[in-house]
Amino acid sequence: MKFFRSLLAKYMLIIFLAISIVQLSYFAIAAFVFGIGKTDFSSEVLRESEIEEKWHAEAKSIKIITEETITQRFEDWQKQYPKASMFWVSEDGTLLTKVNVEEQIPSKWTPAYTTKFIKERYGGDPFTVIAFLGDDESNGFIVFEMPKELFKPPLVNVYEKYGAIILLGVISIILFFIVVSFLFFRGIRKRLLHLQEAMEIRDVDGLPIETKVKKKDEIGQLEQSFNRMVCELRESKNREQQEEQLRRELIANLSHDLRTPLTKIRAQSFSLSKEELSEEGQQAIKAMEISIVNIDALIENLMSYTLLMASKYKFEQKEINVIRFVREQMTTWYPVFEKEGFEIDIEVHPFEKNEWQVDPIWLGRIFDNLFQNVLRHANSGKYIGVETESTEHYDAFIIKDHGNGMKNESNAKGAGIGLSIVDIMVKGMDLDWDIESSESGTKIKIKHYK
Amino acid sequence: MFRILYIEDEKEIGQWVTKDLTERGYEVTWLESGEEVDQHIASKDIAILDVMLPGLDGFSIGKRIKRENKEIPILMLSARTAVEDKIEGLNFADDYLTKPFHPDELVARVEVLLRRYQKNDDVLDLQHLKIFTKEMRIMNTQTDEEVQLTGKQFYLFQYFVRHLNQILTKEQLYEGVWGESYIEGDKTLMVHIRYLREKIEIDPAKPTIIETIRGIGYRVKL
Repeated sequence: MKFFRSLLAKYMLIIFLAISIVQLSYFAIAAFVFGIGKTDFSSEVLRESEIEEKWHAEAKSIKIITEETITQRFEDWQKQYPKASMFWVSEDGTLLTKVNVEEQIPSKWTPAYTTKFIKERYGGDPFTVIAFLGDDESNGFIVFEMPKELFKPPLVNVYEKYGAIILLGVISIILFFIVVSFLFFRGIRKRLLHLQEAMEIRDVDGLPIETKVKKKDEIGQLEQSFNRMVCELRESKNREQQEEQLRRELIANLSHDLRTPLTKIRAQSFSLSKEELSEEGQQAIKAMEISIVNIDALIENLMSYTLLMASKYKFEQKEINVIRFVREQMTTWYPVFEKEGFEIDIEVHPFEKNEWQVDPIWLGRIFDNLFQNVLRHANSGKYIGVETESTEHYDAFIIKDHGNGMKNESNAKGAGIGLSIVDIMVKGMDLDWDIESSESGTKIKIKHYK
Repeated sequence: MFRILYIEDEKEIGQWVTKDLTERGYEVTWLESGEEVDQHIASKDIAILDVMLPGLDGFSIGKRIKRENKEIPILMLSARTAVEDKIEGLNFADDYLTKPFHPDELVARVEVLLRRYQKNDDVLDLQHLKIFTKEMRIMNTQTDEEVQLTGKQFYLFQYFVRHLNQILTKEQLYEGVWGESYIEGDKTLMVHIRYLREKIEIDPAKPTIIETIRGIGYRVKL
């Protein structure tokens, strides 16, 4: 049953119909021809051999050979074949009787002329039959002539008469077949295009949308397979999201579980710091404080890095005013640098276009990491500069310090992971960055190409 | 004396924070879970909540408090630092501080929130100014005269007082006081700051109350 729903079956049907129509049309034409032949053409359906035979028989059968009887016979023949012409040439070459002869024939036939006549007429036009009169040659011969065109086969006559109609019929049959084929293939094409379009459309979650299956043929099956695929894709995406969720949860919990004891350490160190302590004790507490802050930052960076490497860090780009964003970012960092006794130099001027397509959390994280590095590794310089730069090709934020430079990094090694995060995030937002570092300081540029 | 409701299941941290805040002059009610929140919350000025708690988590407790007591500021204090958690927390809470925190930072943030919610009926001493925050009355202690501020100057100064010690960008100030988005290069704010300084600074040419933070904005530091 399935076969009859298939496109193949439909196509076969069209081909079969086309062939049948051709066949039928032949039948129709044949029937038409014979139908017509029986009515209109009966007197003119002629056969050369038949006439030839009859003429010979006629010639033989004439016993009383006089001009009257011959003329009589000729006239009889003429009734039957109105377009025929006949004449009698006697044994000595005299033209005796002629009926309906329009051509020029001599009244005296020489042997030469006779030979020429026979030669000319043999197989030629008009159709000519020459027969000796009576039983032998002594009575001369009688000639029967008839235009060749009267002997044409009936189909030729039909074509001549009804050619236009038949041609039109054939053309319309061909056209009909073309139209049916065209419609058939257009239908297929339309549905394929529709399917292709459906494959291009994306839902809000970035997955293709299922398409409606209308027919159960091959394209319908294709659509069903496509729907199945979409379904599987959605399931796998859900699974992936669940895994992602689990992973995030795990990392968040791990981070939480690490920070809780860290907070307890801080609680203890803070309580200790309230006690009467020796100079050395106070130094130890201070060192502990710094370590707590560093571990905190490291945990944060490690978590972010893990998520980033697995592409599980939340990323939502939008257009923000970066000048404003950086200024607000600075409001939280300014007091920190101020407290450390830094010289703070902020020269943030609007660009030609202040709106960048970025994720504000990522951009904030980039600045946080860079400032954190300045604070921890370039503290000796006691200088932080934030400025903007506009060139022909890019707009950029520059963060400068007067530390010892990256190569002579301070004993803390935490900068690596922080900068790796910066690198991933900068590239993830289609920004660029470069570092110029010397012994007299470091200059980091976050560039946005125009 | 401000009354703080503090929920924390970790005993060590809870004891430490309670002790420190009590020493700083706050009255602290420390609960180890959210079960008895309803009995205490009505009488409190501020709530400090941990997120990971046995039973109801800090987010749920916070949302419930906010629903029933809009006037109580909430500070989330959590070791959960993921952006998603912060975003969820800040949906209803007023601040989100991550562990390990420094007690000074906690107190600073608590103060900011109390001021923002005008729980603080204290008199602020800001250099030569005495500010009665409830009715926003400003006395000049040098001249013993009240400083009269016109509409926008008043709101501007009030905005500074509510955000003491915070650096405010021009955009934040303009949008906070005028309620319209700031257009780069607009001089309105600068003009009003100048008028305000003329009224409150001893030497408006060398302002000490409203600090200019070059490249960023302004700050009033207590």
